[in-house]
Amino acid sequence: MRSSKISSKIWIYVLLLVGVVISIAPFYWMIVGSTLKSGEIFHIPPKILPGDHLAENFKSFNDSLGIVKIFWNSLFIAVVFTVLSTLICSMAGYAFAKFRFRGRNLIFFVILCSLMIPYQVTLIPLFEMMVSFNWLNTYQAIILPSLASPFAIYLMRQNMKAVPDSLIEASRVDGAGELRIFFTVILPVVRPALAAVSIFLFMSQWNSLIWPLITLNSKEMFTLPVALSSLIGMARIDYGQVMLGTALSTIPIMIIFLLMQKHFISGILGGSVKE
Amino acid sequence: MKKSLPFILVLLLLFVSACSNKSNGNEAKTGDSDHPSGTITVWGWDVAAETLKLSVEKFKKQYPDVEVKVEDFSSGDLYEKLTVGMAARGSGLPDVVLMEDERIPGYIHQFPDGFTKLDKLGYDKFKDEFNPAKIASVQDKEGNLIAAPWDIGPAGVFYRTDYFEKANVDPESIKTWDDYIEAGKKIKDATGAKLLPIDIANYDGVFHMMLQQQGISYFDKEGNILLDSDEAIRAMEVIKSFHENDLILNNSGWDGIVTATVNGSVATVPYGVWYAGTIMDQAPDLKGKWDVFYLPGFSEGGTRYANVGGSSLLIPSYSKNQSAAYAFVEFFTTDEETQLLGFEKFGLFPSLNKTYESPILNENSEYFNNSPIFKKFADIVEQVPEITLDENYARGSSMMSNTQAAILLENKKVEPALKDAKDQLKNEIKE
Repeated sequence: MRSSKISSKIWIYVLLLVGVVISIAPFYWMIVGSTLKSGEIFHIPPKILPGDHLAENFKSFNDSLGIVKIFWNSLFIAVVFTVLSTLICSMAGYAFAKFRFRGRNLIFFVILCSLMIPYQVTLIPLFEMMVSFNWLNTYQAIILPSLASPFAIYLMRQNMKAVPDSLIEASRVDGAGELRIFFTVILPVVRPALAAVSIFLFMSQWNSLIWPLITLNSKEMFTLPVALSSLIGMARIDYGQVMLGTALSTIPIMIIFLLMQKHFISGILGGSVKE
Repeated sequence: MKKSLPFILVLLLLFVSACSNKSNGNEAKTGDSDHPSGTITVWGWDVAAETLKLSVEKFKKQYPDVEVKVEDFSSGDLYEKLTVGMAARGSGLPDVVLMEDERIPGYIHQFPDGFTKLDKLGYDKFKDEFNPAKIASVQDKEGNLIAAPWDIGPAGVFYRTDYFEKANVDPESIKTWDDYIEAGKKIKDATGAKLLPIDIANYDGVFHMMLQQQGISYFDKEGNILLDSDEAIRAMEVIKSFHENDLILNNSGWDGIVTATVNGSVATVPYGVWYAGTIMDQAPDLKGKWDVFYLPGFSEGGTRYANVGGSSLLIPSYSKNQSAAYAFVEFFTTDEETQLLGFEKFGLFPSLNKTYESPILNENSEYFNNSPIFKKFADIVEQVPEITLDENYARGSSMMSNTQAAILLENKKVEPALKDAKDQLKNEIKE
């Protein structure tokens, strides 16, 4: 009885271990690849241990694209976008959750509907708009158009609905203004949701390719995904560089997610249960 | 809250200040056709963009008033940006854009007035300086020159000299595809390497080379589909017999071909001349072990020439500085020194006839077994058969990849499979 329990446990662990190896292997290979020469990546059998080409890959990547500037572009755009967008979406979510005004449900419905419009449809009009503002190749062209994210608004609204009305009423009775209520009472209560939304927004902006690709023209303005995509040449691809670039763009996201995953999960589940 | 508000304000300020120092106004200043001036933007990719950048110095000596800005994207990204810009009625487009020849008919079809006809600006006087097959690929259906010809990709078979020696096969003796298959069997017995890499479900490049050898593509001039023609059947039969003799390494995509080239799992790679650069780049250890012979023919004495790839320069008609754009395009594509620069540095094979006389193109290549491989390619340029690149080229190509997979992997019979492919393609195009 006891031994069968142990053996079944062993089986489960073996299965889990296989799963772990399968999901970690590509990341490991990416990191090993970034230390190899381009041709070495294709050797059979593959090289399991890191090579000695990391510095060269780093140098050629930096020479062709300018690592610091590109990292800064990505980081600046993602951070500013995340802060502004989280603010706007949580305010909108709060309004939809707690204020009663004419057309509230209709407007919310329209916002949700906009989730159904494929991105490609709005791409060209939006691009023309950016051109006529003379905003091509600027940060604001990437940050501003997508600040109000329907999904984030929806998520915030669901979470704010769970905040008891009595809390808000009590604050009003105590003489707090609406902005103050929002910032000091509401936001702290929905902190897990805020974390989830901001991780979601950060990741979507950090990884976004098509829109920055279309609006950015010069190398100095490229974000990481655009820069990575520009590394794929017609006939010549320096795979070591590509691996290094991919590793560089993945690692920050991995760190942020690992640090905040608890909030992320609880935030996603936040609106689902009403206490 | 009291703590976070200043923080947010600072961020906002930072944001506004970062945004405001940027103005991207196009200079309106342009000259006339005799004295072009102003700034032009050129889009290219990879080593082609590098070549464009390097050419600016000499260009400026002739046209000191023109500033040239070269912007570099990957080709896929460039097409994406170009399509969006064209769809947005020319918003945000450059003055000169690089394009692969097989893409040109598609863009002309989708945006008939999108590109400037170059003969109007005086390019027709250069028509005879390029080989006719290349000129044919840069013209629209009415015969107007839409693009200025740059590089081409005459095809050959890159092969491993050591494998051939080991199997005791003389590459000179390979004259027909049947010889090629016999050689492949011997090499496989002696070395274990497969004959050639083909991504069966996604790449019909070898098939298309075989079509071009016989003087056709997927479509003829009138747009009739030629997928079930005798030529196509003959070509597919050869590919089928590669497969029956287990000579194909079925790998995936571009990366797969490179992998096979580097790790020695194939003995030959039939491809365009530009693949020489990739081999040298990715497999420096194999120096002296590669060489080239011409594509085998379908009969002894049959045509052994085809072309894979190649690109040209176009001027979007929305460009506000046509005269400067044209000056650059004309200079770049017809200046011998500039064309040779791209070849010498990056192996971009020019289509300008007079470059073939130059010594760099004729010397022996140390990497390639000390043989004059580029001269071999230059010698055949004139003989590459002229074919029609139709606006539905990409559809034809993907249809043929699917059909190739059906024939090789699902054992469909060649003739009915090609007939089906033709009918299906016809329906697709009608829609």
